[in-house]
Amino acid sequence: MFEFLIAGVEVPYLLLVMVGITVGMVGGFIGVGGGYMVTPALIVFGFPGYMASGIDMTHIAGKGVVSSIRHREMGNIDWTLALTMIAGTMLGVELGVRTLVYFKHLGISSVVLLITSVAIMLFLFIYTQMETRRAHKKMEKMAQEGKKVGREVQTSNLPILFQKIPLAPIVRCRNARVIISMWVIVLVGAVTGFLAGFLGVGGGFIRVPALVYVVGASTHIAVGTDLVEIAVSGGYGALRHSIEGNVDIVAVLFMIAGAMFGAQFGSIATAYVRGPAIRYILSYSLILATFGAVLRLVYVLSGQNIELLSLAAVMLTLGEMIFLCLFILSLVFFATRYRAGKWVPDWVKTLVV
Amino acid sequence: MKKLINSMWGYWLLLLVISLGIAAAIYEIWLRGRI
Repeated sequence: MFEFLIAGVEVPYLLLVMVGITVGMVGGFIGVGGGYMVTPALIVFGFPGYMASGIDMTHIAGKGVVSSIRHREMGNIDWTLALTMIAGTMLGVELGVRTLVYFKHLGISSVVLLITSVAIMLFLFIYTQMETRRAHKKMEKMAQEGKKVGREVQTSNLPILFQKIPLAPIVRCRNARVIISMWVIVLVGAVTGFLAGFLGVGGGFIRVPALVYVVGASTHIAVGTDLVEIAVSGGYGALRHSIEGNVDIVAVLFMIAGAMFGAQFGSIATAYVRGPAIRYILSYSLILATFGAVLRLVYVLSGQNIELLSLAAVMLTLGEMIFLCLFILSLVFFATRYRAGKWVPDWVKTLVV
Repeated sequence: MKKLINSMWGYWLLLLVISLGIAAAIYEIWLRGRI
């Protein structure tokens, strides 16, 4: 047990280190901040809501930097894409927050926000899951025919459409191997930033699919590039929350201590898998986050503290973090076995390298 | 067990059960009565 004096709560510090490790690993692997997992977890542990957001945002900034450094070393960051997108993201977040304030003045309740976030996450889950399954089947077919399977296989036609837009200036993203109008990248940043600002989330789970399915970047590049965005937006959020006094720095340090290891491992783990494996994990994280939002929706609609609902929230919050980590760890384990020529499940063979 | 692991959905389900089990253990050891 450790008493966090600024937040005024007593929590086992090992639990915070564990959250740091798990969310760091997931974030480094799929390129998200993981706020939709950390904030509910901290609230479950007894931190006040505003403190949970502040601690989460500050730890995301630290984790984003660690993951970005590791992904940079692995060549997974496209700086042209990242820097162009940041401009659109900042604009979008500001617009999203202002729209949220406007809707709140109109009297639109949190129920609408929750329904919107459920709809968006569900749509992204269905699209990502369907496309990834198609890509997985295509890879299996290629392997059966004896063809060489690349690190990335993507079956969506959307990037071709967006890359054809002839709006100058056209930019060349060397690492992502994409030639596209700058305005498409800015627009992707603005739209995903708007949704993030409106829904009150970091937005990594929207940006990564957007980078893959709209811009046409490979999943590895999308993950690395999005982590740069997360480090920047997380840094800004951390500064704002610190000024407001919403940050318990000791709790942040415990979480970052765990995230240092988790984020490094998650980033390195991407080298063991092909793009669709990352997209599978991303889609699983989306559906689990959707369940979390549905639970909150039921909680808000019922208007009372139902014991079973609270227990379900705890199980889901902790369970989803553990599930995603176990999946990533097992993919690395299977990849190591596959490289050594040992038995692995059939479905794994085309997902690992 | 090998048959279960050989199917992606079977493996998914197995991991989910293990994860929820670990989550339940954490709840029992650290969190019960404190949240």
